Amino acid sequence: MSMLRAGAFDVSERATTSELIAFETESGTPVVQLSGDWGRAIRPPSAAHVADTLDVGGQSRVVVDGAALDNAHPRVAAFVHALGDALTQDNVSLDTRDLPDDISALIALASPTPAAPERPRRPGLLARVGRRAGAQASVARNTANLVGQAMALTPALVSGRAQTRWRDFVELVRETGAASLPVVTVVNILIGAVLGFIGAVQLQTFGAGMYLADLVGIASAREMAAIMTAFIMAGRIGATFAAHLATMESNEEIDALRMIGVSPFEFLALPRLAALSLMMPLLFLYGATLAIAGGMIVAHIVLGTPPVAFVERLQDAMSLSEFVIGFVKSIAFGVLIALTSCYIGLNAGRNAAEVGRAATRTVVVCIIGIISIDAVAALCTNALGI
Amino acid sequence: MAHDSDDTPDNLVTVRDLHYAIDTRVIYKGVDIDIARGRITAIMGPSGTGKTTLLRLISGQWRAMSGSVDFDGQRIAKLSQRQLFTLRKRMGMLFQSGALLTDLSVYNNVAFPLREHTRLPERLIRDIVLMKLEAVGLRGARDLFPAQLSGGMARRVALARAIALDPEMIMYDEPFAGQDPISMGVLLRLIRRLNDVLGLTSIVVSHDVKETLGIADYVYVISDGEVIDHGTPDEIRNSSSDWVQQFIQASADGPVPFHYAGTSYAKDLLGAEPR
Ligand SMILES: Nc1ncnc2c1ncn2[C@@H]1O[C@H](COP(=O)(O)OP(=O)(O)O)[C@@H](O)[C@H]1O
Ligand SMILES: [Mg+2]
Repeated sequence: MSMLRAGAFDVSERATTSELIAFETESGTPVVQLSGDWGRAIRPPSAAHVADTLDVGGQSRVVVDGAALDNAHPRVAAFVHALGDALTQDNVSLDTRDLPDDISALIALASPTPAAPERPRRPGLLARVGRRAGAQASVARNTANLVGQAMALTPALVSGRAQTRWRDFVELVRETGAASLPVVTVVNILIGAVLGFIGAVQLQTFGAGMYLADLVGIASAREMAAIMTAFIMAGRIGATFAAHLATMESNEEIDALRMIGVSPFEFLALPRLAALSLMMPLLFLYGATLAIAGGMIVAHIVLGTPPVAFVERLQDAMSLSEFVIGFVKSIAFGVLIALTSCYIGLNAGRNAAEVGRAATRTVVVCIIGIISIDAVAALCTNALGI
Repeated sequence: MAHDSDDTPDNLVTVRDLHYAIDTRVIYKGVDIDIARGRITAIMGPSGTGKTTLLRLISGQWRAMSGSVDFDGQRIAKLSQRQLFTLRKRMGMLFQSGALLTDLSVYNNVAFPLREHTRLPERLIRDIVLMKLEAVGLRGARDLFPAQLSGGMARRVALARAIALDPEMIMYDEPFAGQDPISMGVLLRLIRRLNDVLGLTSIVVSHDVKETLGIADYVYVISDGEVIDHGTPDEIRNSSSDWVQQFIQASADGPVPFHYAGTSYAKDLLGAEPR
């Protein structure tokens, strides 16, 4: 027996490396002798280091002997296991001898874990761009599909041939219309009052207070009432629709409808589209009237304009076209909110978190859409001189 | 395991060399499956192998990437949306979660397909609905809403709805999952009775080995996108495949490792190896 080169190890005060490990050969086969209490070592021998420095001497087998160990510390198991792994890479097998039973059991338990598969490589930039573009194209295709279905089915809806549930429709009209009245009322009165107040202060400096009716009337009818009402409906109704349809999707209810042979679009989206595009313009008319009333109250309080004078001025200043513009825009907003919420709801993923996400996304997309439509409408009416 | 019954008229559904992937994840890499008319065919396999996906492919909710799915001689992938909807009236499907319409009562849920697809007078619809509910033993529950039903009851109502239009075929997605022993017995007997009395063709998709082998006439075992074995329940029980044996005996380790691939347990636990 001759000592082999053991390499340099950390020396600790409590248990030095040489107390824990020694290297010998038995008829040519390298033997790693483990001894002492591995639990006392500050830093136990490193299997990787041993594997690197161990002089195998051309043998295909290394033996680990545990006879001299004081106890079955798990570090021994980790060491033997790691040494085995390291030696296997050099095509050297590791045999164990006289290891405590607990250590053998622990090594056996650890062994059958298959190696982790290589992570798929992140696709290249071009591939990622392509994939993104493909996904966008599919959203565009789905949207076109939805709008197409809506247009194709509109005559059916009007003639009542569609499989639409009229009971549902009535309920939806109540939900979108009557149930939205309180919040539409409060918001529009306040918006009219704010417009009136800002306008009154500014116009007064020019002695043009009498024109407050023009300002409040035109701003409310053309822009503010339509937009504020649409925002309210996006938050109140768009989010509700999206969450409802997403819940149905996660319950497999939508799949069940398809299996029964009922188009989820006809059954769910169409009544919502009809209810919203009917109620939005009506809510707008109601909201615009209240906003003007709000301005009138402020005019009376701040400028002392009698309501009769305010209304007379309004009749002179405003044409029907102001209301028509707001009215038409409201219909567009209603269609936008209904289609967006149904699209997002029907395409939501199948778990509870997706329900909330669908609602949030609907509100965000609707707000951006409302402002965009409004900007385009402003450009068009300006170009047409209306 | 050659298919000796290719395209014989006895098969209501034939699946040939089916390939399907969701995004980059391959679900099927070439499977052949025959669903014999008038029989209960079971599709077994571990969760996540694509059993529900198979039902979606058969009912035309999704389309195969290559290979074919034929229903009664019609190639599903070639049908228009309208033709598909017509075809689906000939199939019923029992979803994993029941999938009752939550806003409608039990009665209206069962009446729903009838109102959609027929012009029957309400009196006749009532008779049919009560008959179907009687068949699943829930005539007394007609006025309840889905939220008031237990899991087993909801599944039976969904079953009544699935057979409302007298389909030729019915697909059950995990019918036994999460059932108490009594509901389980009721369901097993129902599936068998409906199949035999109404002359239906049934597909039962499940990972519950004992129940499925007990009820099926023919069984396919799938895993990793391939058919591992197929045959009568007895043939499957005596299968020579280690994998099938592990699956039906529910042993934790075997050809399918119990461990998900990762670093070794000892290293993770002890961290004794310097990093
Ligand atoms: N809509 C989906 N989008 C992405 N992956 C899906 C979708 N549906 C199913 N999968 C995946 O496809 C695999 C097969 O699913 P499924 O057919 O439901 O399995 P099974 O019914 O056998 O449990 C699963 O790994 C699942 O994660
Ligand atoms: Mg499933």
